[in-house]
Amino acid sequence: MRIMKACAQLGHDFICLCTDVDRECGHVDMARELGGDSCVYTISNYLDANEIFSVADHAQATAIHPGYGFFAEDFRFARRTMSRDRSMIFIGPSWWVIRELGDKINTKRIARSLGVPTIPGSDRPVYNELEAENIARNLFDFQAAQGIRDGMVLVKASAGGGGMGIEEVQDLDQFRSVFRRIRNYAKRNFNDEGVLIEQRIFDFNHLEVQVVSERGGRKHVHFGTRNCSVQSTGKQKRIEVAPGFAPGDLPYAFDAAKVLEDITHHSLTMAREVGYDNVGTWEWIVTPKGEPFLMEVNTRIQVENGVSAVISRVGGEFGVNIIKEQVRLGLGGELSYDQEDISFDGVGIEYRIIAENPDDRFSPCSGAITRFGWQEEDWLELSTQIPRNRVYEIPMEYDPNLALAIVWGESLEQAKERGIRFLDSVVLEGESGGSAAEFRTNIAYLRDRTANLLEF
Amino acid sequence: MDSDKRVQVLKDRLTYIEDIFGAKRVETVELLGAKFGEFLDRLPVMDHSVRVREFKQIEDLFAFVERKLETELTPMDRVRIVRHPQRICLKDILENVYDNYTEIGGRGEFNIDPSMLIARANITRRVGKKVINQPVMVIGQEKGHGEGFRNGGSAKPWGNAKALHYMKVAETENIPIHTYVSTPGSFPIEDYPGAAQQIARNLYEMATLRVPIIAVFSEGGSGGAEAVGLADRRLMFSHGYYSVISPEGAAAIEGRLRTGQRATPELVEKCAAQLGITAEDNLRNGYIDRIIQEPSLGARPEHYDFYKDLRREVVQATNEVVSSVKSMKLFRAMALKNRRRRKGSLDPESIYVRWHLSNKARGRLLEKRFQHFREMSHHAYEDGRSFWDRVKSGMEPLGWTIHSWFSYGLLRRPRKHMEDFMEEMRAEAHLVREKVVRPVRGTLQRMKVVRKKPSSRIQERAREELTRLSCPEEGACIIDDSWLWMSPRSQEDKAVSCPNARTHGCQDLWAPDLFAEFAGVCTTCGHHFPMEYEWYFYNIFNYVEATEFNADIESRNPLGYEGFELKLDQAKKRTGRKSSCVTFETTIDDIKVVVASLIAPFRGGTVGAAEGEKFILAAERARKKHYPFIAYVHGTAGIRIQEGVNGVIQMPRCTLAVRRYIDAGGLYLVLYDTNSYAGPVASFLGCSPYQFAVRSSNIGFAGPGVIAETTGMEVPPKYHKADQALSRGHIQGIWDRGEIRKNLYQALLTMGGRNLYYR
Amino acid sequence: MLNIKELLEDIKANPYKEIVIKSPHTGAVEFADIKPGDKVRGRSGSYSEKPGTLLANLTREKNRKPINAPEKGEVVNIRTELEGKFVEAGEELLTIRHFLTRKEVIELILKKALHLFRAPERAKYYFIPEVDQKLKVSGKRSVKVQDGMEMLIVSRMKRETPLAYSGPEGIIYSVYFTRGDNVDAGEPLLGICPEDQLTTIQDVVAKVQSEWDEE
Repeated sequence: MRIMKACAQLGHDFICLCTDVDRECGHVDMARELGGDSCVYTISNYLDANEIFSVADHAQATAIHPGYGFFAEDFRFARRTMSRDRSMIFIGPSWWVIRELGDKINTKRIARSLGVPTIPGSDRPVYNELEAENIARNLFDFQAAQGIRDGMVLVKASAGGGGMGIEEVQDLDQFRSVFRRIRNYAKRNFNDEGVLIEQRIFDFNHLEVQVVSERGGRKHVHFGTRNCSVQSTGKQKRIEVAPGFAPGDLPYAFDAAKVLEDITHHSLTMAREVGYDNVGTWEWIVTPKGEPFLMEVNTRIQVENGVSAVISRVGGEFGVNIIKEQVRLGLGGELSYDQEDISFDGVGIEYRIIAENPDDRFSPCSGAITRFGWQEEDWLELSTQIPRNRVYEIPMEYDPNLALAIVWGESLEQAKERGIRFLDSVVLEGESGGSAAEFRTNIAYLRDRTANLLEF
Repeated sequence: MDSDKRVQVLKDRLTYIEDIFGAKRVETVELLGAKFGEFLDRLPVMDHSVRVREFKQIEDLFAFVERKLETELTPMDRVRIVRHPQRICLKDILENVYDNYTEIGGRGEFNIDPSMLIARANITRRVGKKVINQPVMVIGQEKGHGEGFRNGGSAKPWGNAKALHYMKVAETENIPIHTYVSTPGSFPIEDYPGAAQQIARNLYEMATLRVPIIAVFSEGGSGGAEAVGLADRRLMFSHGYYSVISPEGAAAIEGRLRTGQRATPELVEKCAAQLGITAEDNLRNGYIDRIIQEPSLGARPEHYDFYKDLRREVVQATNEVVSSVKSMKLFRAMALKNRRRRKGSLDPESIYVRWHLSNKARGRLLEKRFQHFREMSHHAYEDGRSFWDRVKSGMEPLGWTIHSWFSYGLLRRPRKHMEDFMEEMRAEAHLVREKVVRPVRGTLQRMKVVRKKPSSRIQERAREELTRLSCPEEGACIIDDSWLWMSPRSQEDKAVSCPNARTHGCQDLWAPDLFAEFAGVCTTCGHHFPMEYEWYFYNIFNYVEATEFNADIESRNPLGYEGFELKLDQAKKRTGRKSSCVTFETTIDDIKVVVASLIAPFRGGTVGAAEGEKFILAAERARKKHYPFIAYVHGTAGIRIQEGVNGVIQMPRCTLAVRRYIDAGGLYLVLYDTNSYAGPVASFLGCSPYQFAVRSSNIGFAGPGVIAETTGMEVPPKYHKADQALSRGHIQGIWDRGEIRKNLYQALLTMGGRNLYYR
Repeated sequence: MLNIKELLEDIKANPYKEIVIKSPHTGAVEFADIKPGDKVRGRSGSYSEKPGTLLANLTREKNRKPINAPEKGEVVNIRTELEGKFVEAGEELLTIRHFLTRKEVIELILKKALHLFRAPERAKYYFIPEVDQKLKVSGKRSVKVQDGMEMLIVSRMKRETPLAYSGPEGIIYSVYFTRGDNVDAGEPLLGICPEDQLTTIQDVVAKVQSEWDEE
């Protein structure tokens, strides 16, 4: 939606894809509104790249925005966009950048080569048992030396992901058997025996740095940091706050301002090194002692970009739109401002309103929305695909995200207070399995968590 | 003989002539038929003397016609002769050639395979005053006289397995084996032990079967014939045929017929004529040693004289084989030779040679057998190597042998002893240190004399190891950048559908991704699209650093098969190679290996004389150099039919070479890719103890079309897939394309015999 | 008791099923050489290895793919105006009139005769492992169900919850869902036959077998 708005604002024509199941959604309505009926194409499956190119060719599109997920971090999709016979512009970093940073191990190695801090442990798949044991021993000793009691080591399949093939080890005696188990698991499931061994870090905060770069990869700026530590059990973000810490408003056990400065500095260093050339996010974890470690780089625009935009000022002006910047820069536009032109003002909070039950492991809730309303404010931005004039059936195939709300306040205190005020104003009714009582949302959970945002 | 019987015999002769010549010699046959009809009409009214005269006349007429037709026999007529129900069968031979016999494992159709007959038989004769009883093992396909359950002599895999079993029994009992080859081909069924794999097993075992083997060919139909045909002496009936494929099969391929269509008789005739299948052709080419003359229009059960000839010939052949390897030969060998020159001078039955072989003689027998086959078919390929190359290739092996002997034989042992000794010493020292030093240090520690605490320097180093870039020399970026060689198909901007899309829901893949980065593997279901042989050469066999050898041994058209010259030239031009077999020496990681590969783009990877020769030379090179030997089969459709028996003979030839290599202590590993069918699988490939297949490849004896044609069975669509072959026990593993190199290296380290240089 | 004769007559009055062939994905359509009234056949061969009659080709990203007839029938109408044109996914291309087979008629009638256990909500359904195993090994009709027995697993939004059967005791006679496909609320999942009615049901089947002539 925000992409279509950005296109419309920039004066580009666009086409929008939908599938059979979601053709009734708000985003399709909006597409029809902004671009006319002919700009909507029905395809069989969002995950089928062939469908996208087929429609793009038919509509004579010149560029493709991959959205937030699916193809945004798929370097092959980007490569195909660029190198097919009728080539198009991929709105995102160049494919080789995506490939280099898309691989976590590779990212870690690039970071280390630049002296950017990463989680202690191996930076390449380990195959040899003796070598692995050595690393594990060092890690335990290292944690002990740092005064961490009950240190833990993570053993994971290097080819795995999404929580598969990861185990924690508490002491060296266990290590060997766990290592073997993971190695065999990896061999069976991923056909690669490589194993990674890392320190297990507890109680960390999840921070992000929003980086924006020009095509050509020579000019880079950042739009501040975000704190995305409020997450569901499935590690899905629920609330994001910009900036990442509030050293002025809250006390921290470490120099929070310096941490923020360090991670933005490190992020830009890496962006420069790899020739990053679009919008991206550097994800960091910060330990309770204030040590930042680079986790990974998201080579795409993220949903939560808006919360960074809301506190950012270019040349003191309000109204940065990072998606608009992404499209503009992606098409070869110039980055006409420097880091010095960017300033930050206030605190932004982003809420993700989702039909789910936070008390039951955030289990998603299916059903229909019968009523949805909220109090409009000038410090509130809300986007939703839910049509206001009819009952909306939550599609089963995708996550049951209902709305995204961004609240701005001059200070953390005001932002929190406004956040609660907004959440209280939301009217959201629906039914699940035929009963209104069964319908659950996470609004109460969001309100709950607002109280101690950014505290660490 | 009473007249009814005589009439019946004549009637049979007439039907026989009709069956064989049917459509072609209409006038002659009709004339004969008419005369015979007239004779039959007049017969009841004839008185005795007229009857005697008339019988004589009509019988003479029959004999005359038969003799006349005999001179006009075409190869296809011979095919019809051997397949005729009246043709003599193995049972007839057992009853009339041998003196008594016991059939083993058969009572009509109650038999594991009624088309394979096995019997212990005796040849009894009087030499001087003594009666001598010489036992032999008789093995051969039984056609019966048109008995349906005999399946026309088309043996099933388990029939061939039975044959092999009793060959081994004969080896244990140290008695000669007489095999009678009378099969249109093996029954193309994949169930264990597998048509192809069992033939391969037979060949592999017969290669070193330590008793004399005499084979007699009546109908020698390709692979099925080889299953019992690898022999020290190969005799052939004058009206038999020995061919790479049935003429109908050749015609079906030649005419590019679809299943169900039939080739025209003319085309079949023509193919039969071109394939060089007659006894004369085979004698001329050296694939058989001797022809046994049959009566006009072929031997039938009532030709009793023929049995006598046959008996003399097989006894003679056995005598010759035995005496050629015996140390005590003297006059009898001379006499045997003598007889050969002046036929009939001495009856072989009167020369007694004991058929029992000593251990040494058995060794010589095997050597002779190997040489016999090694010398065959050299006329059927073009040796394009320069004179110097040939001299070199003659000399080099000597050098390798000497080198190998020094480095792996002579020098290796003392060095190994030394190393073993040092290792033992180190282990001893370690134990002593542990036993003595440790308790002391422990005590000291307990007494707090020495405090055990890692120094901060060590701590710092450990920390660095955990947080700094490891192996910085490799650069920060360790993404493996695709493959060395990429398929030209990866240059095309198009989507490709996976054949499993319907069942596995695979999405269309973009050709540049599929054929480059994914190495032709569907990311959803793992289906392997066939890749070019170059892909394997460069990405697995390190072809850049390989040395190819014998590239100038060239395929040609030894039978002058019509139109084949042109096709061969086209294949040569298109591939830039001179045969479908590419042999080279290369290194896989640090291990030097010899690779022989059959590449599909060159005439479907078919094997002819040139390919066989190259394969054998490669195996010999690997043996002399003590290298592992890898057969990479990019694809093979079988034996090259246009070369006729010149192709088929590569089955025993190559298998013998492989057997030699394995017996010498080498590692012979086969890797199948795309499609591998027929002869090669049924011999030198299928006999390897280590056979692996690339996923999604097909391995089998005969393709689905041929199976439908010959057996009338419709096979399921995935009948020949590698995973099926694996579950039938035909291959030992399936490898994904991306892992071949890794697995191959692993295999080289974990498998194989004692003579590999790196062991 | 059901009036089978009447039911059969009803079906005989309109013994067809219209099958609408839709484009499976985007691409350019070229119809095969077919016209309304042509007979087409579905997948066949002893291993159903032969695809059905070619209806059209759909070319997307230079990859030309055939669309084959899924069932035997007669072409009713072809949207020839789409020939050579780009179509979106799900566009109707042509319609086939399919004469019901004996098996399909039996299924139709059974749906009326059996006790139907319906889907409570739109989701994916599958059997719990024990039942699944039993069905695979001994075939349907080997599983007896009773009220309150946990039978199925409901899968929606990546979450799985068990579902108990409710209704009369009986054996599973028909299964109407396929694993991995969404079932709308109210659609039948299982056809249950109370054991005392088994013979009646079998009579129904026998009757249809004899009275229904396949085309």
